[in-house]
Formats: sequence, C-alpha cells, structure tokens
Amino acid sequence: MLEFFRSSAVRVALAFVLVTTAATTAVFGLVYLEIREANEARNRLILEAEAAKSVDRPVDELRSAFEVRLTHDLRRIDYAALFDSDHKVMFGNIDTLPAIPVDGKSHYVTATSVPGGGNLREPAVFVARARPDGTIMVLGRSLLESLAFRRIVQSALLAGLAPMLLLALGIGAFFARRASRRLTIIHDAIARIMKGDTQLRLPVGSRHDTIDKISRDVNLMLDEIVRLLVQLKGVGDNIAHDLRSPLAVVHAQLERGLESSNDEQLRGSVKQALTHIDRAMLTVTALLRLADVEYGPKSNNFKSIDLSAICTELFEFYEPLATSKSIRMTLETQSPVRIVGDGDLMREAVSNLIGNAIKFTPENGTVGISVTREDGLPVVRVRDTGIGVEPAERDKIFQRFYRTASGHRVPGSGLGLSITAAIANLHEFDLRFDDNDPGAVFEMVGRKK
Amino acid sequence: MRPTSRPQTILLVEDETELATEIKAELETRGHLVRAASIAQAADAARVGDAAIMIMDRIVFGEDSLVTLEVLRKEGVKVPVLVISALASVDERVKGLKAGGDDYLTKPFAMVELVARVDALMRRLDDVRTTKLRVGDLEMDLIEKTVYRGGTKIDLLPREFRLMEYFLRHPGRVITRAMLLEDVWQYHFSLETNVVDVHISNLRKKIDTKGAPSLIVNIRGAGFMLSAHA
Repeated sequence: MLEFFRSSAVRVALAFVLVTTAATTAVFGLVYLEIREANEARNRLILEAEAAKSVDRPVDELRSAFEVRLTHDLRRIDYAALFDSDHKVMFGNIDTLPAIPVDGKSHYVTATSVPGGGNLREPAVFVARARPDGTIMVLGRSLLESLAFRRIVQSALLAGLAPMLLLALGIGAFFARRASRRLTIIHDAIARIMKGDTQLRLPVGSRHDTIDKISRDVNLMLDEIVRLLVQLKGVGDNIAHDLRSPLAVVHAQLERGLESSNDEQLRGSVKQALTHIDRAMLTVTALLRLADVEYGPKSNNFKSIDLSAICTELFEFYEPLATSKSIRMTLETQSPVRIVGDGDLMREAVSNLIGNAIKFTPENGTVGISVTREDGLPVVRVRDTGIGVEPAERDKIFQRFYRTASGHRVPGSGLGLSITAAIANLHEFDLRFDDNDPGAVFEMVGRKK
Repeated sequence: MRPTSRPQTILLVEDETELATEIKAELETRGHLVRAASIAQAADAARVGDAAIMIMDRIVFGEDSLVTLEVLRKEGVKVPVLVISALASVDERVKGLKAGGDDYLTKPFAMVELVARVDALMRRLDDVRTTKLRVGDLEMDLIEKTVYRGGTKIDLLPREFRLMEYFLRHPGRVITRAMLLEDVWQYHFSLETNVVDVHISNLRKKIDTKGAPSLIVNIRGAGFMLSAHA
C-alpha cells in the first residue's frame, strides 16, 4: 500500500485532487463570504439608519414607534429600548444597556440576554445612540436568523463540494491506476530484462503518449545494448574459439618435441611451456563452457532430478579428497528434493562449490553440504571454515576471471563460480554468498515462481 | 589375439589442416596407420570394413558429420567412432553419442587425451563378455562382485570396484583423468582439483602389496595405467 502511494502517478493524481479541491473550496468560500458580508452590512446599515432617523423624535412618539416596530416589523428590528442618563431602562424590550460605545455605530454583541427568554442568549448587533435629552436609544437585531441563513449557505456549499471532491478523487484514482498499471507492466518488463531476458521489450501502445514514446526509446536503446553485447561477447567467444586449435596444435608439437629431444635444458623449458598451455586450455575450455551455458541453446535435457541424490553422490566423490586434507565433510539431506533441471549441469554447479570449499579450507576444517527445502524453495548450501571472502571482494567474486587476493595462490581458471552462477540462473536459482565467520557459505536457492 | 585380417587404418576426418597434421603425426609416432579423408571417403571406407576406427570432427567444411554417422549406423556399420567437436555442451555430447559416436572429445584437447581414447576404442573390439577379469595375481569376479589379490579377499566400496573394473578392462593402456571422470563417475565437466588422484591412491592402498611396485602407475602428463604384467 505504501508502495502505491509512493508511485509518481498516484502522487500526480493526489496533487490533482488537492488542486481541484482547493480551487473549488476557494470559489465556494468566496461566495459564502460575499453573501455573509452583504447580509451583515445590510443589517448594520438598517440599524444605523433607523437609529439616526429616530434620534430627534420625542420620547412618546418613540415609545409608540418602538411598540409598532417590535410587534409588526419583526424582520428588521428585534430590540428597541430607551435608557435614561443613568443607564436605566425607560421602556423597550432590553433590561440592561449593552456594553457598547454610544456612538450610533453598529456593534456586534456575542450574547445578549433576551428579556423574557430566560437563559436564552443569542448573538446580535446593537446600535446605541445618545439623544439630545441625555437618554440613550438602543436598537438591535438578532443574528439568529442571519446565522441560520449562513448555515443554509454553508451546507449548500458543502453539499456541492462533496460531490466535486469525490469526482476529483475518482478521476484522480482512475488516472493513477491507469498510469500505475502501465508503469507496473513496464517495471516488470525491465526487471525481467535485467534478469537476462534480453529478447523482451517494453510494451508500446497505440496512444502515442509520453509513456509510449519513452518505451519506444528504451526499446531502441535495448536493441542497441543487445547488439553491442552480442558483438562484444562474440569477440570474446571468437577469440576463445579461435584459440582452441592453435593451442591444441602447439600442445601437440611441444609434446612431440619433448619426446624427440634429450637436451635437458630444452626439455625443462618445453615442460614449463606445456604447463602454461595446459592452463590456457583450461581457461579457454571454461570460457567456452560458460558461453555455452549462458547463451547456448537451452538445454533440452531438463527433467525431474533429485538434488539430494546429486549432492549425496558428490559428497561421496569429494570425501576422500577432503579426508586427504584432514577436512571433515558433512552431509545433510532431506530426501528427496526434486526440481526440473539438467542433472549434469547441476552436478557441475555443485561440484564447483564443493571443490572451491575444499580448496580454500585449511587442514582440520569442515565443509558442510546441505540440501533442504525452505519456504517451499529448494536450497543447496555449501558451508566451509576456510579463508572466506573479504567484505570488499564480495561483490566481485561472481565476476568472470575474478580471483580473490588470497585465492591467487590456489590454481584455477577463476571461472568456476561464473559457470556455477550461469547454471544456477539457467535453472532459475540464485547463487548467493554469505559469511560463515570464519569461512564462506555459498547457497543456490530456487527463485519464487 | 587380433585376427590378422583386421584393418589397422585410422580414418581421420578433420578440416583444420594444422590440427589434422598434428593428430596424424601423433598417432603415427605411436605406430598407428592414419589416413585423412573427407566425410564421403571415410563413409565409403567404413562400409567396406577398411577402417579400424574413425575420428570425425563434428563439423567438416560446414557439414554435420553426425548425419553421415547416423546413416552408417542404420546401415549396420559398426566401426568405432571418436567424435571431436568444438561444441562442448552436454546436449551436443549426448547428440553425438546418440548418433552413434562411441566417444566424444571436446576441443581443445591434449594429444595424450586423444591417443588414450583412440587406444581405448581400438581395444574395444577385443572386449568379450566375460565374468572374470584378471591382471597378475589380481582377480575380479563381476558376478560375485569380489576382488582377490593372491588369494586374499580385498573389500572394495562400490565406486572403488567400478574404478578397478575400468582399469582391468583397459590393462596396459593410458587412462586419462577425464576418461575416468566420464566413464566411472559420469561427470562430463573438468575439475580444478585432484579428486581423481585421491581416489586412485585410496584404491592403490587396498590392492597393492607392501614392498611391491603398484599395480596402477602414474603416467606423467597423461594419467594412469594398469601394469599389464604385474
């Protein structure tokens, strides 16, 4: 879910919803404020005008006018009273003089005790105006009605805003989903391409929008990368390929030369040359093998094989070697662990791991092999108490030809782990390294389907 | 015990001239008769029984020699064939053997490897279905699964038994490590460790008698050999 909100499409959609909502709210708010202002201004103007009009009228006339106003003209004036100079009420429907300046201007009073209303208090606007005879005339208008009106406008606006908001959310979600679905498809495609499916391309729709345009560009880029990759690999493979015959020929010629000469010095040199050529042949063979596993036609030798049986067999094969180095070898199997694969290739992959483990483990060490199923996934683990791998070298050990600083003392092509990794990949397994402290753990784990 | 009429010629079908020359020279120094041939020539020679064994490159001048080999096998031509190939994958090897190849060798190879395999194939015709194998005072009973050395029973593990049997079936022949890996363990990949040597040395400890030279000797730069006349 968090992932969902992190996607840019969803962010754009949310921003869209926010902006739409903000714009709508602003418009509605403005309408509301305008209406409220106009209503209030009107109330105040009426009050002030009434007060000004009545300021010079005699008291008696005022009294009857108040009565008429209060009983008949309910719309405009709710409160009217005359106070003497001691602020005592003379007549009218307010008991006490509101605490406002006596200036003929309207003032907002939050709560007025309503005569005869008991504890009912309501907001109102009052005007107090001094009359020439020293009395104070107070006119007021309850804001209840005005507030009710405001609430009606408010709820009307909210009622309008809610569907707007929902609509914006809906549209936003729709576009986010559509965009994120397309991005998810692209993301999955890229993940598969990175895992080695170099033939796969990003889907390009018929919409000709930005995503399609970028997908098309990425596809062109992939074509170019694959072309370069094939070219580069071809160069390497061709070199390896072309070296085979000359190497075999030179090897044969040197061997023959060795037999036909009695010159000990010459024979010594030839023998040395032969060991170097042997090593070159080993590397060329390993390189071609790697190319074959990585890029060759998919093995059609895939069938149901038992990893436990393969590891048991390899355990028996390697145990004498371990014993000769005083290394204890253990085997832990949970038989059978069946997968669909090429038995010969899997044997080669695990053999490389066990061979390495024995190679890099000193006397009296331990090499443990285990075959298990963890979370339903097949796992082959080879654990040793050897020299391990320096943290700085851990990313590199799966690279071609990489040999650890300490591993340089041990002969080998430096391609064993690459071949194992390639075989693992062919079987949709991951080859991982872990620290055994001391020593190393290499494990091949089946990928989740 | 070879019948005198048996052909001695090794037919070599290989389009890389330099390599062909070397193979020819190598085999000739070991007393073999070698004749270079095209696929068609080799097939004709094989049909009339004029070949001891055939060494065929997998692809000769762009042509797949396995096609011809398959035809020959269908016709009932039994000549042993060693397929040499640039194609190293397990699939290709299986294909080569299915088409009727008796052994499959991947380039680049050392000449000792080729010679050892040629010797093994030449020898193959002499193989008879037998229940007992013997060299010197060592005797193996294939049915009882027992081994006796000078009347003393030697207990061998199943794998050691198979290893011993392989040597007994090829006495006096150079056996390479790769041959042992392929034929005794069925491992078709190269190893960077000397596991095979350890197995051999364990076997020697069981079969050899103290003070006497070992039955299985090391051949420098090539592999091992069971002394035929121990």
